[in-house]
Amino acid sequence: MKNLDETIKRVLSDESDVRAATAPFQAEFPYERDEEAQVTRREFCNFLGLTSAALFLGAGGFAAKAAFDARNSEILAAARVEGAEALTPNSALSFTYPTAKDSAIVIRTADGVYHAYGQKCTHLSCPVYYSREHQRLECPCHEGAFDPANGNVLYGPPPRPLDAIEIEVRDGQVWAIGRKASAGEHAG
Amino acid sequence: MQANFKPTVGSNRRSRAGLAALWQARLMMLLMVNIAQLWILAATVDAALARHFSVLIPLVIASGVCFLITLSIIRWWRPTSKKKTSSGYVRENDL
Repeated sequence: MKNLDETIKRVLSDESDVRAATAPFQAEFPYERDEEAQVTRREFCNFLGLTSAALFLGAGGFAAKAAFDARNSEILAAARVEGAEALTPNSALSFTYPTAKDSAIVIRTADGVYHAYGQKCTHLSCPVYYSREHQRLECPCHEGAFDPANGNVLYGPPPRPLDAIEIEVRDGQVWAIGRKASAGEHAG
Repeated sequence: MQANFKPTVGSNRRSRAGLAALWQARLMMLLMVNIAQLWILAATVDAALARHFSVLIPLVIASGVCFLITLSIIRWWRPTSKKKTSSGYVRENDL
């Protein structure tokens, strides 16, 4: 109890010490601290009204941007995945597609079929890796996992499947021919 | 039109208490609507990233409805027990 009283006195004295130290500057730049600290219910309600407007504009903005990007989506050029033809079953290889900034991973599952996905986890964009022991794609950050056959979430916090990359085998070479967002429908 | 009541000693206190309760109620309703709008925004962002275009428009409409509700609460909402005249609120004739 004594400690509590001392703590209260120390905290209150800090406040008055600060006020005493800043008093000369306060004279040059008057600031009604007590008045400013008061927020009336009316002001807060008006603030909530502005917040509501901002949330509405934000939702509209995201929707508009998504629709705009979908309408302007370009056809991606096919690109060969170097080294994918040498993959043994139950192994994986990282590459980039369609640009150098878009990391991706190609997996050759145990049955010999190639699958490719964007390497960014849909939770918080950590790079996923292929676990040969568990035969699944795993995210090391928050223990999410994806099915290598279709990119769907097996467990963990990721909200959506991985972005799917379309793969084609031409004359023994593996080509990436398109990329689409995780399990979403195409617009237009 | 004149307000049809005689102010008494206690009436100002009751009016102030009534107005405070009014703003308190507004605050609670606005908070709830804002929280709902936050959820809608989160769902909108998730749908936009997943390219689920079929749910985007309903979500934006829902957010717009919440905004209209907010606007109506701030601008036009009044308790049904109060009547508003050009001179302000009048107390009901129960005194």
